[in-house]
Amino acid sequence: MSGGRRWLYAGSLAALLLLLLVPLGVQNAYYLEVLFRIFIFAALGLAWNLVGGYAGQLSLGHVAYFGVGAYAFTLLTLDLGWNPWLGVAGGVGFSLVAALVIGSITFRLRGPYFTLATIATAEILRLLVLNLQDFTRGAIGISTPPLFPGPSADRAFYLAAVLLAAVAYAFNLWADRSRFGYYLMAIREDEDTAMAVGVNPARTKLLALLPSAAITSLAGSLYASSFHYIQADYIFSIDISNQAAIVAMLGGAGTALGPVLGSVILTTASELFKEVFQTAHLLIYGILIILVVLFLPGGVIGFFGRRSRRRAQREPGPFAGSLSGEEGSPRHSSSSST
Amino acid sequence: MTKRFGGLVATHDVSFTVERGEVVFIIGPNGAGKTTLFNLITGYLRPDAGVIRFRGLPIQGLPPYRITAMGVGRTFQIPKPLAHLSVVENVMLGAFLRAGTYAEAERRALEVLERLEMRELARVEAGSLPVASLKRLEVARALATGAELLLLDEVVAGLSPAEADAFVGILRRLPEMGVTAVGGVEHIMRVVVSIADRVIVLDHGTRLAAGRPEEVVRDPAVVEAYLGTKFARREEAP
Ligand SMILES: Nc1ncnc2c1ncn2[C@@H]1O[C@H](COP(=O)(O)OP(=O)(O)OP(=O)(O)O)[C@@H](O)[C@H]1O
Ligand SMILES: [Mg+2]
Repeated sequence: MSGGRRWLYAGSLAALLLLLLVPLGVQNAYYLEVLFRIFIFAALGLAWNLVGGYAGQLSLGHVAYFGVGAYAFTLLTLDLGWNPWLGVAGGVGFSLVAALVIGSITFRLRGPYFTLATIATAEILRLLVLNLQDFTRGAIGISTPPLFPGPSADRAFYLAAVLLAAVAYAFNLWADRSRFGYYLMAIREDEDTAMAVGVNPARTKLLALLPSAAITSLAGSLYASSFHYIQADYIFSIDISNQAAIVAMLGGAGTALGPVLGSVILTTASELFKEVFQTAHLLIYGILIILVVLFLPGGVIGFFGRRSRRRAQREPGPFAGSLSGEEGSPRHSSSSST
Repeated sequence: MTKRFGGLVATHDVSFTVERGEVVFIIGPNGAGKTTLFNLITGYLRPDAGVIRFRGLPIQGLPPYRITAMGVGRTFQIPKPLAHLSVVENVMLGAFLRAGTYAEAERRALEVLERLEMRELARVEAGSLPVASLKRLEVARALATGAELLLLDEVVAGLSPAEADAFVGILRRLPEMGVTAVGGVEHIMRVVVSIADRVIVLDHGTRLAAGRPEEVVRDPAVVEAYLGTKFARREEAP
């Protein structure tokens, strides 16, 4: 193991310990909630990064697993009387099945076609959940069960989000230094070359989607419970797909640190400017992603960390797909926003 | 084997055998069908007719990654490295096929680089390499997969005469490593004639001649159809 790598591991571990100690000092519910969101979106970005960053498959439909996680957890707990944590696990199960189905369909497609197909599958799920009223309460929405009953729920949610982000981060670090991660990067670069070293691209992409969907599902369950209420239009909103992608691309897609950095920047900024811009944040996201694609193709990490060799792909191809998706997003999601 | 693209017959009934440990060159001008032939053998294209056997087993119709796993390696006409990874990491990409761990893949990759005399480039970023080194990197990556048969498309294109000599020299050493090599070149070059066990001349998708290089060079059909018009170019070539 190289020296730099050792420092990265040691530093990451130290950072994790510090983050776990934060609730001892920060009791303010508002700050804890912002921190919770930072790490939920870091987890989402890191999960997305396995597919969108390392493997270069620009998904803008990851909200599918987020929403399935949120709804499965809620319905299994409320309607079938499962223990809430069993409900969370059930959500992961459903998300894995969804990933297998969605992955086998969408991974046949390349570039913008793949991106559009991921958006479409997530939209189909949103409409299904909206219309299967007998199961899901439809547009009325549904109150979610508490995962952490009691007065210290804020702290517990924060800690759960940090741990989830840590697990997702560990997956990314592993991708940096494993056969599987190398195979993903080979696929991103060129599927023909990947096949020439013995990689089955379809299978490998699907294998990357599984942990990605599982983590996204866990984030969805946590988010649902912390928010006390879910409704299909915002829990399956394309905003969440976009945010997972933007967080990763802003920080540096295809790097482990990138999505964490991206989430810290984006979540903090959107919190600071919330009052100023109100619902214009959708427009801001659109402009932001165009700026990142044009001027920061490797994200913040790629810009500052010249030595970081795991920069995102610079090819305009896959990002062109995201551009068009982003420009369209404000129109798609008029009904979103919390 | 035969491959058609619409009305165009890219390879027409081309048939040949390569023995273990041989160095064979497929020679043919632009559009003769060399790349098509390599794509057929490695599974990137399906033949419209014909059988392809590797160690006696039919492999036509198998996906490329299965054929790679059986021991057929290839390089591409246009080298496509992972530009932001180092040379050794690119070679590891091939080595992972037979290596269980990261460390083992790295060790195998360094061994291959050693054998191809590019060990000193191991930590260089692949994206910064000149064409000649990139071509060598492609060979290293293919070798690292443990290939027994190596198909090298367009081994001299874009290289200076000296670089071309050096590259063809590498092919000459492959049999010592237990690897059979089939290279594609555009012109009949002196160095090819001097080191090839056999050459196969392709023209417009058909096999014009095949055999030992000295014989083929004298083959009237080859002289007529190929050397006849290209004699000047042959003299220029290294
Ligand atoms: N995918 C394809 N679709 C249609 N035609 C093709 C395709 N691939 C190759 N061809 C045609 O088949 C013929 C043989 O091409 P091929 O690339 O095999 O030749 P080559 O000997 O490798 O030539 P070059 O020196 O240009 O690499 C050419 O006429 C080419 O235009
Ligand atoms: Mg060719």
